[in-house]
Amino acid sequence: MVMELQYDRSLYGVEHKAGPFEISRDQIKGFSKGLGETGQIHLDESAAQAEGYRDVVAPPTFCTVLVNKVKLPDINLQFGRTSMHAGQRVQYREPIVAGDSLTASSHLKDVYAKTGRSGTMVFVVWETTFRNQDGQIVADVQESFARRE
Amino acid sequence: MVYFEDVDLGDEIGPLETEATDDGVVSFCTVWQSQMPNRFTDREIAEQSRLPGPIVPGIMSMGIMARLLTDWAGPGAVRDLDLVFRQPVPHHRTLTVSATVTDTRQEDGENLVECDILMTGTEGERYVGGKAIVTLPSKD
Repeated sequence: MVMELQYDRSLYGVEHKAGPFEISRDQIKGFSKGLGETGQIHLDESAAQAEGYRDVVAPPTFCTVLVNKVKLPDINLQFGRTSMHAGQRVQYREPIVAGDSLTASSHLKDVYAKTGRSGTMVFVVWETTFRNQDGQIVADVQESFARRE
Repeated sequence: MVYFEDVDLGDEIGPLETEATDDGVVSFCTVWQSQMPNRFTDREIAEQSRLPGPIVPGIMSMGIMARLLTDWAGPGAVRDLDLVFRQPVPHHRTLTVSATVTDTRQEDGENLVECDILMTGTEGERYVGGKAIVTLPSKD
């Protein structure tokens, strides 16, 4: 049986923007240290410069800490109550370096239901594209949230 | 240094063994600018959300899993990391991250290695799983 999901479909195609975010050395170093990164290009500007970068380079999943800066609307999903963070995808396209200025743009990507042993769950997927000061796409981040019946 | 030519289907990457400490989670939440206390840092708030105790943020687990790949292939090698959070990840437990190569291919002049990646616990918990794509240099 295909379930007819009730939510605000007019949100498709609408971009929700945030930024610019000025990315500091401390932010990149703090993120890297918190994860136990050992790559010196993440931790030491002279090591990064020796590798040809302008400054310390963000580890691949750095943008995930910026996603929640975008204020997202309620999609008015008529299903379940509590929402949990079900999945995350990062596609890393260009290096993010301290001193970069990033902007974020998010849109509703997909809403779908999945039925398994524990019943039906509905997934809501948002996609956020990050661009740098040169307009280059540096990363795409997808976050999915799941609701249970 | 790992080269594309050295990688075969079924190769194991890792494991990386680590743990997330209370202090580590607090410093991660600080960089994230997540308002504390929260379910990641505070036992009572976590229990109100029906969690057994404070948990590791999903995006922190993701960062730890990415580290397995950057340790192996070098910084800048990770192209795509696509994860499903299966179970809450507790603080102060041994977390094992490992990956298995599922495909190697050349695409748009890049050498790509695709793998399944998993974060597990000591009692067989499968906390986080998914797929990753990493780029590697050629020998010549």
